Amino acid sequence: MTQQKWEPKIVAFVCNWCTYAGADLAGTSRLKYPANTKIIRVMCSGGIDPVFILKAFERGADGVLVSGCHPNDCHYNAGNFHARRRWDLFHKLLDFVGIEKDRLQFSWISASEGKKFADVITKVTKDIMALGPFKAYQNMNSEFTIEFPELEAVALKEMLHEEEVSDGRA
Amino acid sequence: MEELRKYAKELLEKGEVAAVIGYQQVNERRTKPIIVTDPADATKLVFNEYCLNNLSVYFTRARIRSLMRTKDKPTKLAITAKPCDVHSIIALIQENQIQRNDVHIISFYCHGVVRDFGCEFSGDYLASKCITCETHKPLYYDKIFGEDKVTPQASDKSLAKIKELEKMSSKERFDYFKSEFDKCIKCYACRAVCPLCYCQRCITDKTIPRWIESSSHGRGNFAWNIVRAFHLSGRCTGCGECDRACPMDIPLSLINRRMAMEVKDLFSFVSGRSLETPTLVGSFDKKDNDEIFM
Amino acid sequence: MKIGVFICHCGENISRTVDCPRVAHFCEGLPGVEYSIDYKYMCSDPGQKMIKDAIHEHKLDAIVVGSCSPNMHERTFRNAAVSAGINPFLVEIANLREHCSWVHDDVEAATEKAIELVRMAIEKVKRDKPLTKIKVPVTKRVLVIGGGIAGIQAALDVANAGYEVVLVEREPSIGGHMSQLSETFPTLDCSQCILTPRMVEVYQHPKIKLLTYSEVVKVEGFIGNFKATIKKKARHINEDLCSGCGLCITKCPTKKKAYNSFEEDLAFRPAIYVPFPQAVPNIPVIDETVCMYYKNGKCGMCVKVCDREAIDFEQKDTMLVADIGAIIVATGYKLYNIDKKTFDSKYKGYGEYGYGKYRDVIDGLQFERIASASGPTAGEIKRPSDGKEPKKIVFIQCVGSRDPSKGISYCSKICCMYTAKHAMLYKHKVHDGEAYVFYMDIRAGGKMYDEFVRRAIEEDQVKYIRGRVSRIYEENGKYIVKGEDTIAGVPVEIDADLVVLATAMIPHDNAPTLAQTIGIPYDRHGFFNEAHPKLRPVESTTAGVFLAGACQSPKDIPESVSMASAAASKAMILFASDTLEREPVVAKVNEDLCAGCFYCKKVCPFGAIEVKDITDVNGIVYKEVAYINQGVCQGCGTCTATCLSKSIELAGFNNEEIFAEIAAL
Repeated sequence: MTQQKWEPKIVAFVCNWCTYAGADLAGTSRLKYPANTKIIRVMCSGGIDPVFILKAFERGADGVLVSGCHPNDCHYNAGNFHARRRWDLFHKLLDFVGIEKDRLQFSWISASEGKKFADVITKVTKDIMALGPFKAYQNMNSEFTIEFPELEAVALKEMLHEEEVSDGRA
Repeated sequence: MEELRKYAKELLEKGEVAAVIGYQQVNERRTKPIIVTDPADATKLVFNEYCLNNLSVYFTRARIRSLMRTKDKPTKLAITAKPCDVHSIIALIQENQIQRNDVHIISFYCHGVVRDFGCEFSGDYLASKCITCETHKPLYYDKIFGEDKVTPQASDKSLAKIKELEKMSSKERFDYFKSEFDKCIKCYACRAVCPLCYCQRCITDKTIPRWIESSSHGRGNFAWNIVRAFHLSGRCTGCGECDRACPMDIPLSLINRRMAMEVKDLFSFVSGRSLETPTLVGSFDKKDNDEIFM
Repeated sequence: MKIGVFICHCGENISRTVDCPRVAHFCEGLPGVEYSIDYKYMCSDPGQKMIKDAIHEHKLDAIVVGSCSPNMHERTFRNAAVSAGINPFLVEIANLREHCSWVHDDVEAATEKAIELVRMAIEKVKRDKPLTKIKVPVTKRVLVIGGGIAGIQAALDVANAGYEVVLVEREPSIGGHMSQLSETFPTLDCSQCILTPRMVEVYQHPKIKLLTYSEVVKVEGFIGNFKATIKKKARHINEDLCSGCGLCITKCPTKKKAYNSFEEDLAFRPAIYVPFPQAVPNIPVIDETVCMYYKNGKCGMCVKVCDREAIDFEQKDTMLVADIGAIIVATGYKLYNIDKKTFDSKYKGYGEYGYGKYRDVIDGLQFERIASASGPTAGEIKRPSDGKEPKKIVFIQCVGSRDPSKGISYCSKICCMYTAKHAMLYKHKVHDGEAYVFYMDIRAGGKMYDEFVRRAIEEDQVKYIRGRVSRIYEENGKYIVKGEDTIAGVPVEIDADLVVLATAMIPHDNAPTLAQTIGIPYDRHGFFNEAHPKLRPVESTTAGVFLAGACQSPKDIPESVSMASAAASKAMILFASDTLEREPVVAKVNEDLCAGCFYCKKVCPFGAIEVKDITDVNGIVYKEVAYINQGVCQGCGTCTATCLSKSIELAGFNNEEIFAEIAAL
């Protein structure tokens, strides 16, 4: 097998009303952007918990984008204002504990900004490419999981609260 | 001291309060919390520079709360609180954990406490929070004792450490915090001692789905410590109890302090200083910083 | 759980860049997936039948459809699932078209991404819970914002169907721009003659509450249950007492204090005025900025002459609150201000045309007033500067419109028609005059529209010149219009007496503010966005808020009227039943675990969260918890993310589901 070029894994948490629709518009307009980003749709940027971002990093994401409606344009009037405070603090916290700022990015993309969506995804992908794989986070459990590889599966099942737990737990 | 005991005794005797949450001397350089319900026990109460505990944590304890609930007894609780502990009480009132009318604050002019039990009271052993303390007189109280004395001088080592960390690269900081968080044994003493960690079930105990990896290894430790710090961002009043409680000496209040600095910078907000100002979480300004958003 | 996966090719729209069979085949092997297939058109009848059959045959519990955006066909597939006995909320859509095939070129990368998107949807659907729609009552009353022709039409339609209407107009009278027009294309019938009867009908209609000189300042609530706060500005006239005799207006000593905005600043008005003689309601307004009473406390002439004692200098703005079921926004347009001096930063003016500098360079609405029999010149064509009859008149089309360098890229749609109308009106009144029109293209799509333009050119001898005007300057009382005839390929110079600029239609300055008040999206120009450009043109994306007229994009009268009737019928559809079904995407508190910090209550944008007391066996309150009113909750989930102990879950987007999506990465 030939060695594959590393492709970053990026997750975008987007609100249903603005950014998701903006992403739809990018599609309708046939704008091109890199295929690394997978979108997870929530109703409002105000409903995205910071732990989602940590979970994404734990599950191997190299970068995360959070995007919602522009200030004043929130479908729910004020969800994004609460989100803005939350993300500003969380971003500063991650920066302080040594997670590169570009790993977690934020944008306001309206339903009419298909072009901006394509541009933002392209920019984020480029930034994450430049930073490289987020090994520092992903490998945090490496000693542990190399010794007990099955525990990784247990951790995942536990995260999702699946009934049957791996045999390796014993 | 006698005034305090007399006052507490009267409160209990008159039936104005159900209990006085206070300090009791253990030895010359150590105190411990005491819940006084019998007026005769009021003589045990003390207040000095060895009264380290932030007693407001007891307000949210089920057994203490039950004292307020019985029909035939008064519902108020009295507490002896340092001015900095009053900040925690303010935060608790703002977060609906206790009503202002239900608490009788007995406070003091404070001139600092020691870093830990057994220490001599001097600049070298001054608690970190006392070095930068700006409220020697409590912001809210129902009764105040003592006289305003000068706090010993000491250098602000915690700020120096923050500055040192800020100068580092992301990778260096990551390595530093990873090595610190790696020490965590997930005993949750930080949570137990924190007045604002009053959740009936902590996020880390939530299993459907599992929010924070339960293992006390790299990722789980990292996630726990980040989430703990984040949940306290804009709420932490800087009492420093987490630092004192941590058996592994993880610099918890360093992160809290750094976040409090950010909060002050970004939103000109300091937690637990006013009953009138809206809480940081739960309010917003349309002109909030928009820098990080593309 | 047995999951069915259906991958749509969308003709070739998806399959061109996504290897659909491979995606379907890959999914076959995933845990929980019972059945997986791809098909050319999943949304078609055979496609839907395929889904229903598979549900029956394989006893599926949930389905995932890999297709276009959920905004397109989520409802289609949910309905298909429901008819086969599956709860609609056990249907997940993986967006393989807008978010994948259309935006990527590389088949390998796009297919990989498609697989991941479908996997995420499968993991989510595994944890989806069946939900049932929530029923909420409907207030059968419409709020119409804007009293132009669109608002009037919408209000009358709704009221004639028997429902109550609150019509709010910012100006002292309803009528809007249509009341300013002289004649209308392509029939040349008098605008006021067809409009004023409708204005009166509105005024007299028992079901319509007319609030003029009022503005909507706050809208709360949601479809069927809005609460609107309306500010009724102080007229300083007691409306109940005023008989509309107009004596106060004729006696007001401040005759020429203010520009008459109804006459597009071509005339003056006193401090107390009605905008125009046919105003509805025919009740004057006192302009505080020019009234002498407000300057020095003296005068009071109006008080002296009013035998009804209707003048009330002390009158204050009042706030009214109304329960509303549906909102129709019909705020209309204004003309692009081409004057550089008063220009805001968004658009660049046309200083080279000298608007605002030369009094005889005017815009289309000003020409309407000059041509109007009720206008400042009583219908005689006279130029503003010296009142002389212009013998040579130049019309310039596309001033502002179709000119991205000036900030506007769109076509204002009506200018070709009204310029032809203006030129004809001019020729009909000034028989020996010459009329020139500079145009870029003639866009006269519409019934009898092109015929109308041909009539102007052929019967009325209006000279059409294809080309742009570079500049206009004054010389000896004439305005030298320098332009180009691009068909003849020669420069053109005309010494005109009057120049009329067909300036672009733009939304009102406060359109974005109003959009934010109501909670509807708007485009970069400030036009309100429709929910779907083709299939839902009169609905905004906010349920229960409908659009009519030029506030959505430039429109002529018949279009505005038909849009208004469409919006009215949308509102009436809503009112056809007493309750309405709402998506069950609402938040719920786990009361056992809630610590009662009420941060959720603080962040809830809808005030849906209340305090609930939990009592012990003795009936003593031992804790307070948050309680979410499901009728009010709109399902944004801000509370769920704010809750520190994670004791709130949003149905349909609960944390378990999102974690599963993250885990599937």
